[in-house]
Amino acid sequence: MKRAVLLAAGLALAGTAQAAQKLGEYQAQRSPEQVYASVCGYCHGKNVGPVIRGRALPAEAVEYIVRHGQNAMPAFRPTEVTPAELKALAAWVQQSSADPKEKGQ
Amino acid sequence: MTANIDRRSLLGGAAAGAAAVGLGTGAKAKAVLAPGVRKRDFAGAVAAMRKVVGDEWVFADPEAVSPWKKSYTPDPYAKHVPVGAVCPENVEQVQAIVKIANQFRQPIWPISTGKNMGYGQATTAAPGQMVLDLKRMNRILSVDTELCTALVEPGVTYRQLKDYLVENNIPLWIDVPTVGPIASPVGNTLDRGVGYTPYGEHFMVQCGMEVVLADGEILRTGMGSTKNPSAWQAFKWGYGPYLDGLFTQSNFGVVTKMGMWLMPQPPVYKPFVVRHKKMEDVARIVEAMRPLRIANIVPNVVLMMGAAYQLAMFKRRGEVWDQPTPITDEAVAKAAHDNNLGMWNTYIALYGTEGMIAESEKIVRAAFAAIDGEVLTQEDVGDNPWFHHHATLMQGGLNLDEIGLARWRGAKEGGGGGGLAWFAPVAPAKGSETQGQVELAKQILGKHGFDYTAAFAIGSRELHHIIALLYDKSDPAEEKRADDCYRELVTGFGERGWASYRTGVHAMDLVAEQFGTVNRAFNAKLKHALDPNHILAPGKSGIL
Repeated sequence: MKRAVLLAAGLALAGTAQAAQKLGEYQAQRSPEQVYASVCGYCHGKNVGPVIRGRALPAEAVEYIVRHGQNAMPAFRPTEVTPAELKALAAWVQQSSADPKEKGQ
Repeated sequence: MTANIDRRSLLGGAAAGAAAVGLGTGAKAKAVLAPGVRKRDFAGAVAAMRKVVGDEWVFADPEAVSPWKKSYTPDPYAKHVPVGAVCPENVEQVQAIVKIANQFRQPIWPISTGKNMGYGQATTAAPGQMVLDLKRMNRILSVDTELCTALVEPGVTYRQLKDYLVENNIPLWIDVPTVGPIASPVGNTLDRGVGYTPYGEHFMVQCGMEVVLADGEILRTGMGSTKNPSAWQAFKWGYGPYLDGLFTQSNFGVVTKMGMWLMPQPPVYKPFVVRHKKMEDVARIVEAMRPLRIANIVPNVVLMMGAAYQLAMFKRRGEVWDQPTPITDEAVAKAAHDNNLGMWNTYIALYGTEGMIAESEKIVRAAFAAIDGEVLTQEDVGDNPWFHHHATLMQGGLNLDEIGLARWRGAKEGGGGGGLAWFAPVAPAKGSETQGQVELAKQILGKHGFDYTAAFAIGSRELHHIIALLYDKSDPAEEKRADDCYRELVTGFGERGWASYRTGVHAMDLVAEQFGTVNRAFNAKLKHALDPNHILAPGKSGIL
């Protein structure tokens, strides 16, 4: 059992530590890094969608596109990414540095 | 990358608040009220719902509803546009909303996380419905590490559940559909979706539900309504008629809690791909797979991925085919060869101890050696992105690689892409069922100018043909063609007895037709008995 537990810990998604959600509690507000890692970053930077970090994309545009979607990008509702999370995320994307490990298309 | 995004003027146009038409956002679609609902009924329902959930969680003007309108599925006549959204955070609020919906005859369309990609996302089967968005109900209520079970609310994503297990060092796996990070166990299971581990048939490993009925009462299925519901997640059947199935692919209630079984992490996990070089090989692959699946030597839900489908995940169409006509088998074969893919790529995995896997591997290798299959492991394929994708899925790992499908068509040619509709007819798992389906699919897709981008899956004894109808949704003419094409696929396959296991909001009525009048009438009787005002998701699975 001990080995299995260690293996499970090893599965932790690198660099994406979440605010721990406890049993019976609602998900707490997430930081921009957490939202990016658990939603955006699966496509942007992973060879599915275009890279969006390090390009000084206007926060206002990021907010609009998250809520409306854009072509192959789905829309994300205020129930999925809360208004407060989105505001912080959009500012973070605008100010972010490029990550050389990301690949886009 | 910068040039790519600038060329399409994606961000600039949006930032300037340009008209949404042509931006592929879905904001162009206009909503209308449901039949028989007057403006004052809708306004009354909205006002009453605001008192229940707060002003900030009811959305009723067209711009505010935009996030619920975006969809990959074709809707050339704007029939699937929601008129509003209401977002409760607990079951008491759901009960109150259901009562308001009855009072004002305002239909409501429940969603869990609304990420049923290629089946309609948060959009509705019929016009004028308010989306009952349950995403805020995102509590993981229990995880039993001895029984290996969980009880979750509808808004819990697979990512949330995975994070909980990992953070707490609980050695249990989840089983995910291809869009796991943003989709939910409840939504996927209720739509009878699948994943790719041994727990891939999600409804099979579902156990116990809490359901808000149309009259506002709360029903707990299985053992959940006994005086000691401690076996709620342990025993599926309860007593008397088995009810849980009534709440899948239906509109007979609003599921607000769902139990599920989780797979213990095996000591060893070993994924494989088996490559075959010819299109016609699929028949003998199915013949080889069936006994392995039925005997559970291969324990997971197996995918046989066509090369064109695989290419469409990570390539843009213009990179491998420059004609407007459907891509030829020869062009697919060349691109497959160039990318270390077979024409069919069968992904299987083994789970257990080293010894168990070694024994099973011998049997699997022998079965495929007999039909010229090239059996490859992680060591053989290196960093092949397709192998990585499937090896991730077959251990319940998370990725969104398949979203790339929605960019196959249009994105390279200056259009927007963003069109994806799954067509998924079912047949028995026999090789003789494959060739006729492939030919019929190519004929119908080809007539409308679309590519055959498809896979087969074997759950146990059945064969799912999973056809991705990929189109450029930013082109209204192409969206109309895609809609026509999909309908012809449903009826053309239906005539041969190949009917879908699932479909998007755009074709629910037509798919229901394939199952006959007695079946439809039975569902209609249940609906009228359980929801006499027909306020829960009219049109879902063709049930009004």
